[in-house]
Amino acid sequence: MESLSESTVNALALLFSGNAELWEIIGISFRVSFIAITVAVPPALMTAFALTYLHFPGRRLLISINSTLLSVPAVVVGLTLYILLSRQGPLGEWKLLFTQTAMVLGQIALSFPILAAMGHAALQGVDRRAWETARTLGAGPLRAFSTVIREARFGLMAALLAAFGRIIAEVGASMMLGGNILHYTRNIPTAIALETSKGEFSQGIALGIVLLVLAFTLNALLQNFQGRGHPVS
Amino acid sequence: MKDDILLTVRSVKKRFGRREVLREIELDLKSGHCLQLGGPNGAGKTTLLRILSGLERPDQGLIDCGDGRIAWKRIRRRLLEQTLYLHQQPYMFDGTVRYNLAYALPNRLSANEREERIKQAMDWAGLEPIRNTSAKELSGGERQRVSLARAWLRQPRMLMLDEPTANLDRESRRRTLNLLTSLKETGMSLVLASHDPLHLSTLIDRCLLLHEGRLVETEPFKIMPLSPSHLPSPMRFTA
Repeated sequence: MESLSESTVNALALLFSGNAELWEIIGISFRVSFIAITVAVPPALMTAFALTYLHFPGRRLLISINSTLLSVPAVVVGLTLYILLSRQGPLGEWKLLFTQTAMVLGQIALSFPILAAMGHAALQGVDRRAWETARTLGAGPLRAFSTVIREARFGLMAALLAAFGRIIAEVGASMMLGGNILHYTRNIPTAIALETSKGEFSQGIALGIVLLVLAFTLNALLQNFQGRGHPVS
Repeated sequence: MKDDILLTVRSVKKRFGRREVLREIELDLKSGHCLQLGGPNGAGKTTLLRILSGLERPDQGLIDCGDGRIAWKRIRRRLLEQTLYLHQQPYMFDGTVRYNLAYALPNRLSANEREERIKQAMDWAGLEPIRNTSAKELSGGERQRVSLARAWLRQPRMLMLDEPTANLDRESRRRTLNLLTSLKETGMSLVLASHDPLHLSTLIDRCLLLHEGRLVETEPFKIMPLSPSHLPSPMRFTA
């Protein structure tokens, strides 16, 4: 077994030598998570908006269900989708199990509650007069909606980063739904889990460094974005 | 509906839970007129203004802005097109004063036209020195002027104002009155809820009092005598 310092040196060498396998894993991770978050954002935003601005029967129940989903472990999401997508499952005919699409579905299921709950909180933080002022100044519902989104942009950006951070680093659902197939469904967390179980830490550390750099970059971007918040012309 | 009447309100009712705020509202608003709504806190002045602006739905009654008896959805659209509601504390969007003014302009204008209109509005309301200031950081008087400049840019047929001079100092009140007078001179009708309309007396054509959910005509600027119970009790000082 390599020492920690040897593993770290090897990890950096792997990263900077442009190791094809490593960068392929990184690419798969980003592609899957990016697609998942892109698909999840619009319905999550609409849900957050509806929970904030519309009064309909079952609204409180919906908020409670969404809050509950926030704390569901990734493996449970993976298990549920596995049952649905497995050959005997109701969606078995789609033959999606152990594909990137299945991983995307799992990550959508994981990111949606975060986006909806944090989006709801962000929109609740916007003064209700924002919507009314937009409407009374002649904005149609769509423009007023985009105005409110703009007013809540810092909170919504935080929701986006939190959701992306969760799905790119989650291992349970990706392992169960993707199957950790090399060159196809192996992503950063499943690769780290595999390499660690083999006692080979170099690649795991290299991928861990990528996740750390990613977390730092996303937070730095958010800080920079918030720092430039006022004024906007 | 007569030509010079912009808005007719008949038998409008509004209830919040068990509380009936508006019972039987009857109102005709003439073009270019300024109407003052009086009444104590909680009388329903804000609710009525919001209904007339299309921001609140009445429980019953007719609101006619020239289309006769139509569904609320269409009435609301018409009201949103024709009126502009100014909150007691005007909301400023996150951005500069310029951004806030630009918001009130229709999208169909060209970039040059937009800049020209914004400049005119800035000159009209005396906002040029704070053009690039964050609107969130403005004082109450400056916010009021920005919101009136937005009204000037949008040119609605009716302007609904909720306590437009509340919490303003004398100078800000004077400037607000001047801007409102200027807006009225363009032919805009104003409905304003105000506890203290004396400093707006040159503007107001008609005074109505919201009493027990109904509008009652009152004499303009009649100062109600205070009963002894309204007077503050004498203060006692002890050494």
